[in-house]
Amino acid sequence: MSFSIDKLTMTKHCLVVLSLLATSISIAKADEIATTSVVAANTVDVIGETSEEQPSIFKLSGFGTFVLSHSSQGLGDYVLDSTVPKGTGRSQNWAMSNDSRLGLQVSANFSPKISAVLQVISEFQADGTYRPAVEWGNIKYAFTPDSYIRVGRISLPTFLYSDTRKVGYSYPWIRPPAELYRQLTLTSSDGIDAGYRFEMGEVGNTIKLLYGSNIIDRPTSISTSRDLWGIFDKLEYDSTTFSLGYQKRIASSQSLINGIQGAWIPNYDLSAGVSYDPGNWFAVAEWIQRQSTTKTGAMYVSTGVRLDTLTPYITYSQNSRSSFIPGFPAPTVASIQNSKRSQSTVSLGLRWDFTRNMDIELQYDRVKLGDNSNGYLTNVPAGVTLYGSTFHVISVGVNFVF
Amino acid sequence: MKSPKTLLHCLTFTLLLAATIASADASADVVIVVSVKNPISSITAEQASKIFLGKVTTFPNGDNAIPVDQAENAIKDEFYAKVAHKNPAQLTAYWAKIIFTGDGQPPQRLENNIAVKKAIANNPKTIGYIDSNAVDSSVKIVLTP
Repeated sequence: MSFSIDKLTMTKHCLVVLSLLATSISIAKADEIATTSVVAANTVDVIGETSEEQPSIFKLSGFGTFVLSHSSQGLGDYVLDSTVPKGTGRSQNWAMSNDSRLGLQVSANFSPKISAVLQVISEFQADGTYRPAVEWGNIKYAFTPDSYIRVGRISLPTFLYSDTRKVGYSYPWIRPPAELYRQLTLTSSDGIDAGYRFEMGEVGNTIKLLYGSNIIDRPTSISTSRDLWGIFDKLEYDSTTFSLGYQKRIASSQSLINGIQGAWIPNYDLSAGVSYDPGNWFAVAEWIQRQSTTKTGAMYVSTGVRLDTLTPYITYSQNSRSSFIPGFPAPTVASIQNSKRSQSTVSLGLRWDFTRNMDIELQYDRVKLGDNSNGYLTNVPAGVTLYGSTFHVISVGVNFVF
Repeated sequence: MKSPKTLLHCLTFTLLLAATIASADASADVVIVVSVKNPISSITAEQASKIFLGKVTTFPNGDNAIPVDQAENAIKDEFYAKVAHKNPAQLTAYWAKIIFTGDGQPPQRLENNIAVKKAIANNPKTIGYIDSNAVDSSVKIVLTP
């Protein structure tokens, strides 16, 4: 009985993926036509001094990722984000909800100094739907080509891949390492930021300052962050990039079950990353520390080789148990249990850039849960302990940009 | 003990062979050009790479630089492979990061060598790359990578 349901669900999922794939290909095809007209418009723009025609102000671009994942652990759901209600494992045999999303962006260049961007993303939400939401939308004023301010909903580069984690095409993996990136769900800030880029000899330096707020929906609560401050710096020398980030905010959660607003707690996020990418191979490592009422650390290292259109890679990532910060009210039973969550993953994967602007990826993850917790598995039935156990996740996906 | 080494040698040989075939196939010869009115006479591959990847916005002498790209073709692929060490997929991934964070846009794309030369003739701040066969008196070569 359960077999036939699984099979039916799988067939349904396969059909959905296939039709999405077909749509994405037709979008990509349509884009070729669109690109041609953009090229024509741009030609007019550059040669515009002698031409009467108007250059195009608006530009449409987009990205998409469709990934099917299967987890061998049937007693809990493997999810990458605390905002989503379910995933592969206990709730679904195969799920596309972890990494699949579609993004559309309209950019507008009103003048060399004034531009605007609006990005809408459809992905699996707290309410269990793929309802599209505005990821970011802001107006930018460039004082010079190297300095700007932006106002609106702005990307939040807290960690190395925080602001690009939804654009699957832009990194080699199926997803940025879960142990580190599931520590922070925030990807945007409503407010203002300023950026400045300068060269010091051979070293390029980009610095960003940010102030704003953020609200995110979770399955049973709403999290609000205010007084969100960030300073982010990126140093580039030859093929090496160093990045440092520091972010501070005051956050509180309101329960959707009883309406109670939790205490406002200061949160600190610190990140240090380094990547080396001379072209035919790459290596990247990142370390972060998060602090609210507890302190948690996470890190990963990853390397891969680019063999023409194939990129095999390997990643190791882990997070540490949390320690309680003195000075807060005594922790609850639930928060003590949450503080014990830790896990590590070894991932092996292969990316195949089979055509321009599109790739296929296959990834295997071996996830080991910490000795005193069920790690970040969700929907584990009460009383079930999977402490110290290992499970396997296999994912296959396609990415595109246009 | 011997067989993994032999396998490795075979693999290396096959890869080298593939690389040789791939490079022999790319017969295009790209040159980086500016306006004859532009005072600069040469540029390094590193400087050209930074201008086209949007990391700097000026020529080495401090003048504003406006890079122009070509549509997806062999000349473009050769330019980015030689100057920025990026294949087409890596270049797309690089710009995806910048476009979809709202941080910037790639250079304007022109259709071919002729369009690039026209753009350079119209604006002395423009820098482009063309097939060496297409070079004429309207442009000045600043780098043959």
